[in-house]
Amino acid sequence: MHTLMGRFTLALSAAVLQPVVLASSAVEGQEAPASPAASSTPSETIFIRGEHVITRPGTVIDDAQVLVRNGRIVAVGKDLPMPEGAREVSGTWICAGFIDPWAAIGIAPESLGEAGGTPATRSTDSVDPYNFDHLRRDALRAGVTTARVQIGAGARVGGIGTIVRLAPTTKREDMVVLPDSNVWMTIGLSQGNQMSFDAQGDFAGFGSRAMDPFERLESVDRLLQMIQAGKNYLVQKNEYKHELEAWQKTIAEKEAELEKDAKKAKKDREKAEKDATEKGKKFEEKKYKEDKKPTPPRFDEDNEVLARVADGGLPLIVHANRVAEIRALLSGSESMGRLRWILAGGAESTFFSRQLAERRIPVLVMPVPMGRNRPDEYESHDLSLAARLKKDGVQVLLGSGGLDPAATRDLPLLAGLAIGAGLDRQAAFDALTLGAARALDVGDRIGSLEAGKDADVLVLDGEPLVSTTRVRFVVAGGRVVVTPEN
Amino acid sequence: MVIVAMALCAPLLAPFSPSNTPAVAAPVLGVPTSVAAPLDAGSVAIRADAIWLGDGRVVEKGTLLLSDGRIADVGTNVSVPSGTQVIELKGTITAGLIALHGYSGAPNEMVDGTRPSMPESKLRFAFDPSHYDFEDARKSGITTIVLTPPAEGVAPGITAVVKTAGGTMLSDAAHLSLVFTADGLVSNRKPTSIAGAMAMMEEMFAQPRGSVALAAEGKLPCLFETTTKPDIQRAIDFAGRHKLTGAIHGAALAGELAESIHDAKLSVIVPVIEIGKERRALVSVAELAKKDVRFGFGLDSPWNHPSELRLGAAMCVREGLDSAKAWSALTSDAARIAGVDARVGRIDRGLDADVVLWSGNPLDLGSRIVAVYVDGVRVVGGDR
Amino acid sequence: MSIDYRFGSLALSGLLAFATLARAEGKQDEKKDEPRSLVIYADHVFTGAGSNYDGGMVTTSGRKIGLVSPNRAGGDDAGKPELRCFAITPGLIDASVRITPGLVSVEQSNEVNPAMRVAESLDPYANAWDAQVSNGVTTVLVNPLDQNVIGGLGVVLKTAGPESIAARTVKADAVLRGAMGQQASQGNHAAFGRPTDFYSRRPTTRMAVEWEWRKAFYDAAASTRDATRKFSGSEQLVAALKGDLTVGIQAWATQDIRTAVFLKEEIEREEEFKNGLNKPRFFIDAAAEAWKEPQLLVRARVPVVLPPFPAAGRTRENAFMAWNTAELLRKEGIPFALSSHGLPGAESTLAMQAGYAMRGGLPFEDALAAVTLTPARLLGVADRVGTIETGKDADLCLWNGMPFEPSSRIIGVVVDGVLRVDRLAPEKNK
Repeated sequence: MHTLMGRFTLALSAAVLQPVVLASSAVEGQEAPASPAASSTPSETIFIRGEHVITRPGTVIDDAQVLVRNGRIVAVGKDLPMPEGAREVSGTWICAGFIDPWAAIGIAPESLGEAGGTPATRSTDSVDPYNFDHLRRDALRAGVTTARVQIGAGARVGGIGTIVRLAPTTKREDMVVLPDSNVWMTIGLSQGNQMSFDAQGDFAGFGSRAMDPFERLESVDRLLQMIQAGKNYLVQKNEYKHELEAWQKTIAEKEAELEKDAKKAKKDREKAEKDATEKGKKFEEKKYKEDKKPTPPRFDEDNEVLARVADGGLPLIVHANRVAEIRALLSGSESMGRLRWILAGGAESTFFSRQLAERRIPVLVMPVPMGRNRPDEYESHDLSLAARLKKDGVQVLLGSGGLDPAATRDLPLLAGLAIGAGLDRQAAFDALTLGAARALDVGDRIGSLEAGKDADVLVLDGEPLVSTTRVRFVVAGGRVVVTPEN
Repeated sequence: MVIVAMALCAPLLAPFSPSNTPAVAAPVLGVPTSVAAPLDAGSVAIRADAIWLGDGRVVEKGTLLLSDGRIADVGTNVSVPSGTQVIELKGTITAGLIALHGYSGAPNEMVDGTRPSMPESKLRFAFDPSHYDFEDARKSGITTIVLTPPAEGVAPGITAVVKTAGGTMLSDAAHLSLVFTADGLVSNRKPTSIAGAMAMMEEMFAQPRGSVALAAEGKLPCLFETTTKPDIQRAIDFAGRHKLTGAIHGAALAGELAESIHDAKLSVIVPVIEIGKERRALVSVAELAKKDVRFGFGLDSPWNHPSELRLGAAMCVREGLDSAKAWSALTSDAARIAGVDARVGRIDRGLDADVVLWSGNPLDLGSRIVAVYVDGVRVVGGDR
Repeated sequence: MSIDYRFGSLALSGLLAFATLARAEGKQDEKKDEPRSLVIYADHVFTGAGSNYDGGMVTTSGRKIGLVSPNRAGGDDAGKPELRCFAITPGLIDASVRITPGLVSVEQSNEVNPAMRVAESLDPYANAWDAQVSNGVTTVLVNPLDQNVIGGLGVVLKTAGPESIAARTVKADAVLRGAMGQQASQGNHAAFGRPTDFYSRRPTTRMAVEWEWRKAFYDAAASTRDATRKFSGSEQLVAALKGDLTVGIQAWATQDIRTAVFLKEEIEREEEFKNGLNKPRFFIDAAAEAWKEPQLLVRARVPVVLPPFPAAGRTRENAFMAWNTAELLRKEGIPFALSSHGLPGAESTLAMQAGYAMRGGLPFEDALAAVTLTPARLLGVADRVGTIETGKDADLCLWNGMPFEPSSRIIGVVVDGVLRVDRLAPEKNK
């Protein structure tokens, strides 16, 4: 299986069709359950010493310490005192845990293939703390502590993504770091499971069909229309809000008026009643016509989400690779000033570096080696994409591709490949830590070692993102989850 | 609290040529670039922080002298003839990487599907040195590839060992491929079963002729194509019965049978490792090293990108493979398995000048390839 | 018989854990592949050899059975671990299990392939073996698939042991396997226009299947008289004619059983097969409708192996059998073995098949024989397995209730003297 679709299909079929095999391999591949000494509780206090502590990308303190308590980083600095009863952990290099912003781990694998998603579909609904925990453990051992995962990763509209922490747990609530992190849409991905035929007309297996350019541009149009619909919905809601306020104000004024003239009105009314009775006419109550109460726009859950996107509340991640659709996306979204979006894939995006840099649109790159069997839209894919974009001033993020749950483990090595192809080391480190956290609105919680942030810390025996460096300890969510023994 | 700002390690680029940027990937639209006229294979001396000789020794701050396509001298006291171009490298020089299994250049033509057994079919005739697959390979530091038939049928052909630039063929008959995996069987052509395939193979060796006779005499190593552990067991038994030598390829968990493979005096070609490969397979590669089985890495190029060769080795190192063994597997041991260790795989006087210049530790994927020389001609890096 | 569940409490969870558990334990036992001497106390020892003991004891010595005793004296030598269970039987023997890697275990380029061995394609690492051990089956016959008229040579092997098929083999080339009926002719087609692959060949009908059988035997007989007429597989066919190689023919429906029986009688009768070539030993596998014309089987002295009992009566190839099929055969005096075809599912195990046969009226002793001694005899391995007797292989099945009752569980399985499945209560080693 050499294609992305192939790998995905393999992972999917392995997951769905052969549960027994996987269960037994889980038993096999599992180490002995972590000894009591290895795992720890979040209320534990951990004192981490390092010869070099990277607090933020580009900032290193030598011979420093990090104090962790109750799941948070409490202090970072030199000459910190070690509290009594704290568990001590030390190593050469200390840094924040890595983030995989394009992952498939921690959610039920069949949801990756969800084709019927809408903007309101939520990935948190498919977060699965029980299964495939050996994959999460492998990822932790490689230093990846959190991941953004997406239901419907291959669909035109995937829905809302979520950020999960990979620490072992059986409770969903412990896993979710940010329930709604982004909305995901794709343009121009080859559609899988198409029958393909060779030159003699013989069936040659299932492959993927590349979308033709008209279809792709149509997709872009539809995407922009959806955002516009969200914007309109937002406008309608705001208008309704104003109208409601205005109406309520009018009612209040009317009532105040009536209050004022209450006595006179009462007398007038009694007189009129008396008159009518005397004259034998029917007394008609004077009616005050109220203005009609404004009706709210009909609740539409998809538009609710799109409204947040249009307003910049939720970032929109669009997976697109080719020049035509990237150009269409850029020009079509120019008028949507508040929209925040991230371009994923972006194999041909260097043509638009200037615009992407000016409009501060980050590009989420998948630095994965692809052979001849690559899907059509990745024709121009190259490991140097991240480096070229960065040189042009575009913010670059790195992810493992979002289709194979096992690939998150290899993200630090993929970052290494990107560095080897020219990406600046610090930019790579930033892409895996604070840059990713900020782009996904969790920059106040993870991505760097600063007091107040969640305790996701790596203890390494060498510099991070050097392939020969080994991870010795990992603290995730304030617990020691990886030690050299396991 | 003093915060010392320090740039995260940034390897310094060698002032290698007027342009400081390394060779950039092919233009976006995938049109193959023509092979630029190679620089003259004259003499060049490279001074580097470290030179890995390939036998475990490292020369620190030494000089490598290439001349007329060969390695003329290497060491700390190399005398460089006047007039020789001298290059300073802040980094490491190693021998070029060797991929032990691939279909570069003609991926759909490496096997003739009309019959299961064509033991005289030589892959050397499918070698197209100008194909862009080889350009991708050299850009990833691979200087030698073993062209192999895919594991189809029973005896699909004879492998060839070629260089990724210059068209040099190091060997036109390196292994006889024998297929022991059920994946090579189809239901509408004989043999349809494992027993049927074994019967065909026994028949071939009952009255051996041509290349089969050479294999039976131990003069031609075999390439045993497998997928599962029982396939390996069958291959080992067959090799024992007919006194064959060679290498086992294809089974990701070969390391779990390392002892049997070692006792049978066979080598292993680890099948290409893609991202997400199950951990058990990566750990089994470390087992091969621990049990002293000689092994190298395969690459099913162009279905897999050449950069996956080094990536796979890095994944194994992460799961416990000794780094020195990983490097030998990519170079010197690989050359032995391919039977071309008299020419390539190490840096030593007299061997071919196939070297790679790295900006740092070559086992770190973050090290850039600064230049690649094949037969003493610079084929990647600088202005070529 | 009242069931005493003194040893019914188990520390482990339910049936779902079977496969995984057996697998994990299998891995632990890898390191302890060496047999230990075992001493087993059982409230009921069913030896399968005619004698049953209440409150007896079985010991093992190396890979063989040591003592089989009606009491427990002399069984507590220092150092010998002691296991307790409610009942102990010989390890079960399944005469038809299909744990193969699929189509690659049958050579379809030729319909008649007597020389092909299924053993070459078996995988000792397959999960299915653990499931078999877990369900008490210690010895199985694995055949090539029935895509061919004559598929090749089946092998009798243990379901656990060293990681090599050869090391587990009890009898190589035990059975010459073939089929009558629909399955062997499926997939072939007549040649309309030009044939596109080798499946345009005979047989396409039942008659042609029988024709192929007969032709194979006639050609084999001819080859004994004329050396130039030898062909690949003729050696095996000649051995079959002489009775040195048992022939197992799959025949589900009455018409196919009849065909097989007539073929045997033809061989025994015709001139062609004189001079010692007229002593074939046949048994019929998956003989679901054997109950319809039992007199044929009696007359031809052909034993049968029954397929797993179908839930609604209909089996493959539209044959019919019911719970009482086994009892009917017993009444007729036809030797029969039960089989499970290796089907997954707790309701399809070999032990359950014996239970279903008992539900149809088969007495317990005959049910036990049908899954132990009878298949052992059928396969020619009764010198090693099939009963609990001193000197035979130490293959034992430990139960926590009466064997074959659905509410009983297998709590221990010993294969070649090694305890491969251990679900005994924690206080066992006192």
